[in-house]
Amino acid sequence: MRWGMVVDMRKCVGCQTCTVACHEENALPPGIFWRHVVDVEVGEYPDVRRTFLPMGCQHCAEPPCVPVCPTGASQQRKDGIVFVQYDMCIGCGYCAIACPYRARHMVQDHTWYFGEATPSEQKAREPERHGVMTKCTFCKHRVDKAPPTATPGLDPEYTPVCVTSCIANAMHFGDLDDPASNVSKLREEHEPGVLLEELGLKPSLFYITE
Amino acid sequence: MGPRNTGLQTPRVNVALMPAELQHEWDLYHATWFTLMGIGGGIFLIARLLRIERQLGVVLGLPLVDVMSFAVISVGGLVLVWSLGRPLRMLRAVLKPGTSWISRGAIADFIFVVAGGLLVLPGLTIGGAKPVAWLPWDPWATTPVGKALEVIGLLSAAVVIVYAGLVLADKAAITFWRSWAVPAQFVLSSLAMSTATVMVMGTLTRAPIDTIQCLLLAKFEALLLLTIAWHLVTDRAKPGKAESLARLYTKYRSWFFAGVIGAGTVLPMLLAIAAVLVPSDRGAVGIACFVLTVAGGFGLRLITLRVGYFPPISGALRLKKR
Repeated sequence: MRWGMVVDMRKCVGCQTCTVACHEENALPPGIFWRHVVDVEVGEYPDVRRTFLPMGCQHCAEPPCVPVCPTGASQQRKDGIVFVQYDMCIGCGYCAIACPYRARHMVQDHTWYFGEATPSEQKAREPERHGVMTKCTFCKHRVDKAPPTATPGLDPEYTPVCVTSCIANAMHFGDLDDPASNVSKLREEHEPGVLLEELGLKPSLFYITE
Repeated sequence: MGPRNTGLQTPRVNVALMPAELQHEWDLYHATWFTLMGIGGGIFLIARLLRIERQLGVVLGLPLVDVMSFAVISVGGLVLVWSLGRPLRMLRAVLKPGTSWISRGAIADFIFVVAGGLLVLPGLTIGGAKPVAWLPWDPWATTPVGKALEVIGLLSAAVVIVYAGLVLADKAAITFWRSWAVPAQFVLSSLAMSTATVMVMGTLTRAPIDTIQCLLLAKFEALLLLTIAWHLVTDRAKPGKAESLARLYTKYRSWFFAGVIGAGTVLPMLLAIAAVLVPSDRGAVGIACFVLTVAGGFGLRLITLRVGYFPPISGALRLKKR
């Protein structure tokens, strides 16, 4: 099993709902965004177009951020999810330097949008998540809760919140190793591309453009 | 969903999506750490390899240059620990020597301080008494055990001055750093700073500054100059490096070319050559070279960090022509 995402850039309208949903779900402090949508201009005049690129950790199969970590806090699960074991992280920043997708975010201080943590911030607040590196976890706290009868990616409750919140159904989550999964079918149908393929990191985020 | 793939889709083209971005993770603390590790490990290496540790003074029965080396390394380590988000967990930094240069470096620092400390320990003199003189070696490594400790100290000191550059060059995403030239520059700069430091110590302790020290300093600076030049002229158009060079040639032009290269590298090299020819001025040259090389070495490291750009993000995507 290897979790992954297929993003249909034809459908993304750049509304940043996934950005806000991720921020809320993971109680991120001000200025930290694990998921964000980049407004991109591609092509050359006169063939220029505007498109939107949802960005975040690519959960690479060969993640460069994992081996550089001096403590072993940066880890990869068997299902491909790359995450930081907060209680092991010393906050040295080496993983952030190693990630070409700029997907790691150091949380320096206890800061909240309105001085004190709001009820929603308090709800998911983890004191261990300060002074350490943080990143997208593919909402593993939701995925891991899935009972055997449920399928992350199809059952919203057990699916990363950026996917379930997308107003345009532009993001899809599922098992890349299962040929019958939603994401495998999309990959077969559209042969989506990946970012920085030349680095050989085998990212788990695929982008459909045409 | 679109039509099933028929093999007649628009071919993929590499599309630029996000521009290069400056790194902000590592800055002043890391430049300080890299510099102090370079000097700390280097003065032990230079003094021991030239066999001048005894001439450079003794404090509490211990070779002054070795004590300074341990102190500088310790301060460098504390600077790094201070910069960590979770400094109290610092001991965990040694857990992944198989893959992480920070782990390897931390272990080398530890071995260096322990082996070097043990090496000089028998010389410890307090109030005229030598409480650990019974140990079967002496600080000058004249016995087999002492020689073994010295070799361990030298090897770990070598790792200490090498690893800072390898931390940047090995697996970082920043194109400007991913070159053998970066560790080479850091090592050569460390050796130059250390040679100049040893020359100053010679001046202060009235020990003679040998021609070989001046020649070594001149050679280290000449090689450093060549390495910097090589790094500046190779892969200039590579994504990420092009942006780094542009920043170097604009924002840091004066600091880098007049400061690091002119005052921090070329001038000490010329002064060291002059000191070979005029031995009577070596004391003054040593002091000048110390100030210039340390400032230049710190500047080299800081500017290397501050011009580090993550490369642009592109994707091999299908885009129909409109």
